[in-house]
Amino acid sequence: MAEVELRGIVKEYGAVRVVHGVDLTIEDGTFCVFVGPSGCGKSTLLRMIAGLEDISGGDLLIGGERVNDQRAAERGLAMVFQTYALYPHMSVRQNLAFGLENIRMPKSEIAARVDEAARMLKLEPYLDRKPRALSGGQRQRVAIGRAVVREPKVFLFDEPLSNLDAELRVSMRGEIAALHRRVGNTMIYVTHDQVEAMTMADKIVVLRDGRIEQAGAPIDLYNRPVNTFVAGFIGSPRMNFLPCKVTGHDADGLTLQDAQGRPLRAAVDGRTVGEGDTVELGIRPEHMHPDPEGYPVQVENVEQLGGESYLYVRTETGVALTAHLSGQTGLARGGRAFLAIRPEFAHVFRKDGTALPRLRLGELEGDTRT
Amino acid sequence: MAAIVRALYEGAFNLFEKPMQMLQYSLGAHRMAWVFLLPNLLIFGLFTYLPILLNVWYAGTSGDRILLGERDWTGAANFATLLDCGSYLDPNTCRRDLFWRAVHNTGWFVVLQVGFMILLSLIAALILNRNIPLKGFFRAVFFYPVLLSPVVVALIWKWILQRNGVLNAGLDWAGMPTVNWLLDPSWAFFWIVFVSIWANMGFYVLILLAGLQSIPSDVYEAAEMDGTPAWRSLLRITLPLLTPTLLVVMVLSLIRAVQAFDEIYVLTGGGPGSATTLLIQYIYDVGFATRPRQFGLAAAASLLMAGVLLVLTLLQLAATRKRAEDG
Amino acid sequence: MRKTLAVSALALMAAGATQAQELRFMCYQDGAECDAWAEAFQSFEAENPGTTVVVDVVPYQAIIESLPIQLEVGEGPDLARITDYGGLARFLLDVRPMVSDPDLIEARYGPSLAWARVGDNAPDGIYNIVDQLTATGGFANATLFEQAGVEMPGPGASWADWAEASRAVRDATGVDFAMAIDRTGHRFAAPAMSFGAALFNDEGEALVIDDGFRSFSEQFVAWHEDGTLARDVWAGAGGGTYQDAAGEFINANLVMYYSGSWQIGRFGRDIGDAFDWVATGAVCGPAACTGMPGGAGIVGLNRTEHPEAVAKLMEFVARDDIQAQVLAQTRNLPANAELQANGIAYQDVTPEVAAALTAFAASVPDFSDTAYALQGYQFNRAVYTNIPARLTQAIVGELSLDDALARLEQDVADAIAEAR
Ligand SMILES: Nc1ncnc2c1ncn2[C@@H]1O[C@H](COP(=O)(O)OP(=O)(O)O)[C@@H](O)[C@H]1O
Ligand SMILES: [Mg+2]
Repeated sequence: MAEVELRGIVKEYGAVRVVHGVDLTIEDGTFCVFVGPSGCGKSTLLRMIAGLEDISGGDLLIGGERVNDQRAAERGLAMVFQTYALYPHMSVRQNLAFGLENIRMPKSEIAARVDEAARMLKLEPYLDRKPRALSGGQRQRVAIGRAVVREPKVFLFDEPLSNLDAELRVSMRGEIAALHRRVGNTMIYVTHDQVEAMTMADKIVVLRDGRIEQAGAPIDLYNRPVNTFVAGFIGSPRMNFLPCKVTGHDADGLTLQDAQGRPLRAAVDGRTVGEGDTVELGIRPEHMHPDPEGYPVQVENVEQLGGESYLYVRTETGVALTAHLSGQTGLARGGRAFLAIRPEFAHVFRKDGTALPRLRLGELEGDTRT
Repeated sequence: MAAIVRALYEGAFNLFEKPMQMLQYSLGAHRMAWVFLLPNLLIFGLFTYLPILLNVWYAGTSGDRILLGERDWTGAANFATLLDCGSYLDPNTCRRDLFWRAVHNTGWFVVLQVGFMILLSLIAALILNRNIPLKGFFRAVFFYPVLLSPVVVALIWKWILQRNGVLNAGLDWAGMPTVNWLLDPSWAFFWIVFVSIWANMGFYVLILLAGLQSIPSDVYEAAEMDGTPAWRSLLRITLPLLTPTLLVVMVLSLIRAVQAFDEIYVLTGGGPGSATTLLIQYIYDVGFATRPRQFGLAAAASLLMAGVLLVLTLLQLAATRKRAEDG
Repeated sequence: MRKTLAVSALALMAAGATQAQELRFMCYQDGAECDAWAEAFQSFEAENPGTTVVVDVVPYQAIIESLPIQLEVGEGPDLARITDYGGLARFLLDVRPMVSDPDLIEARYGPSLAWARVGDNAPDGIYNIVDQLTATGGFANATLFEQAGVEMPGPGASWADWAEASRAVRDATGVDFAMAIDRTGHRFAAPAMSFGAALFNDEGEALVIDDGFRSFSEQFVAWHEDGTLARDVWAGAGGGTYQDAAGEFINANLVMYYSGSWQIGRFGRDIGDAFDWVATGAVCGPAACTGMPGGAGIVGLNRTEHPEAVAKLMEFVARDDIQAQVLAQTRNLPANAELQANGIAYQDVTPEVAAALTAFAASVPDFSDTAYALQGYQFNRAVYTNIPARLTQAIVGELSLDDALARLEQDVADAIAEAR
């Protein structure tokens, strides 16, 4: 059981800095997910925590103790790799026991732990098989089991599900979440898939180019993204952005105008912007729906999934938008439509990408459809 | 110009197309395969199988004539004298003592050369596989001797080891007693093993390095996370995962050690006495160097050796197959 | 080689038109033998229009290794310059019936003609004209003796005298080696005979290990043990490999060197005025003072399509004036009795070389019959190659001398049995 704390962590490969001073506290027992686009430094950060990479600067504390100079094994962590990294020449049982033998644990206790992990991960029938005789999902479970038996303070996962097919991914997601509930340890999980992050995390850390963009509870990140990057990254399909000009503000929010001069409103705190400023209005696809008095758009494509529908539209100014409707729709490709953009669902971002505080959260006001 | 070449090229194909079509028509596609195999079979037959057959035939004859028709058929007599021994462990009790000395020498040579070469190659490969400075340079250092012709290798070492050679000059300069390295049977044997390891190990270092590099690095990272001590990582992870490569290296080097000849012949001439005479040199000596030439005996000895090589080659095939399955 | 090809091609083209005959002569040379013959053949060609002689100069190794195989399979030149008359006996052409004056040739070359009259060859056949008679014998570094203040053993000195004197010189001057003997049974045989070895049994078969052979072998091994003889030469190789010590002698690192007359040219050239050296002639043992005769010579090969032309050329080669002319250039000892008696006017030789040639020439008449018998023995190569193989084993301690000699006897017997 341990809290993990990063203070100004920096990673440099030669002259190239790939992690730029990360400060982060992961409370004990938290399931923390690092997300971000590929190459943003998630793995590097995780591997520095694991002890597989040297830390170029800053302090890493685990359970309050500075561990920068401890070797991986001494930090009391266990890691599950994207490629599983099983010992190919050892049976599942030997794979699970190997780390315990390293610390000269008594045989009986090793056997007990291996059996326990095998039972928990439903690996009992495969204990004497070699990894090459297992399916991808089974291998991943062995990799998790290898971490579990060591009863580490912290579990680290580096994109553990990305080599699995979609269906298996969903079920393994559930298994890992269940594992977390059962053992209650701190877990740090790296993924580039925001759905995984949203579904599993207690805390999400969004990374970009070696910096933290925003860290917090998943729903907070969804509701109050601090900038266009996080807003675009969290939520699927991604948030729509519409360039606008500020025309005025009052206690209820901002009055805006799109490029054609069409008026729009957003329930955000507009005190920090002035009239005439260029901003971007953000609206999530699931928050737009047909409304005769809404915003006029041209329908370019319609996807009917039965229980839900996607509209791909273009504004008169040429901006592409996506709308996610529940149920089915009578709108057809090539036709005109009007979509409601309601102030309590609108996000507004300054020219530099930072968000204005939202005054009302439509998401919390019950039925979103009128 | 290009058009002419092209026309000729296509013309050549067109030339063959009709007859080939007719051939296929009359033979059927199945037998047609033999038509394509025939040139290869002929070449192999002429330059590989025929010589082997001739060798078997020579082994059953005696005399110093080359033409088979002028040689006397003696059946298994050559094998009988070669295998005529009081005790195979003591060449002095054998009818052909030099053959058995060569067999003993070859046996020791193979065991020592292969054993130490694999050990040293493994150590070198393990070191070169780490992030040491000047890695490329050291790799080249190990591999360079492999590129040298065996005669050059032997001449270099002769120059180092002879009475007034570099090594003795160094020892003399350091105030240590000099040794006439190649004139003392034990030292001479030591040096042929040493030199042949020096000349050949780069090749095996390279194969082992490739084997080491094919072990995924994440396995080592997993081992590191598992707190595996370095020696245990070597014994329990590196060596087992390298076993198929080691097996191939072992059989390959065994075969080459049994066939060792050129650098040793140039370095010691098989001497002093017969201390460094290996099998191939024995065969060369009785077949070509001493007069009259005893082709039959040489052929019989080479067939006995071929038997040993056959077993080793089968082992190698098995090892390669196992490696293919594991890899 | 290229020249040969071109000439052969021309010859082929011309073959239909005229009665042109081309003789191919495969020649090796220690010095300038082939060049001298090529020059001499110009007058032959002038005397015999329509016959051309193409001289292919090849390394000695080719004569030893390729020529026998070519002949075995019915290929090869019309003539060759060889040393192994016994081994090639059955491929040699007997020119006696075709030469104009066989008796003259017999008178001039009698002893060396016997070397090819072995096996099934005619006992009076003329197969070979020796143009380079060789004799084994010693060379001593006179300057080292002088420096050491040791008196050099004179003519008729024994092996023991030379061993003692050479050791004294070595110790006084600090050179590496006292004595050395080339690594071949051919060199070994001479002192063995001087120690009384009979070599042949009553049926004329070698090799007999008798007391004489044994006693020199014991001395030989003992001299290796006490360092009198340079270990490097015999122990430095295995099997029947030939090894000489000329380099050590030329470098003034060796006091006394037992080799042969063919080294004279090389020593004259390579030693120059670096030091004074002398040829010792034959060295004596308890039983005799013999060296081994030998020699390279020109033979006709019986596969030739122009035996008459070959015979003509052989007669030309044997002529006194031609031999005198060629040997003056090549500075070799004559096998020709007339020239032996009258001497040859060697061209451009230093007094040392001239003295050495004289010393060797003078030693030849005293060589024992056994020495000539061995040189003419069909299977002498079996003796020459097996002696170093087995005696080296005794020198390095791999076999006791008794075992080594027993094995030697057996090896030679096996080899001869194989060749019969
Ligand atoms: N060994 C290395 N040397 C240099 N640059 C590296 C190395 N490893 C990773 N990087 C760089 O660091 C950045 C972060 O990589 P990584 O942490 O693997 O990204 P991801 O978020 O996809 O896991 C990338 O730009 C990558 O190119
Ligand atoms: Mg990654």
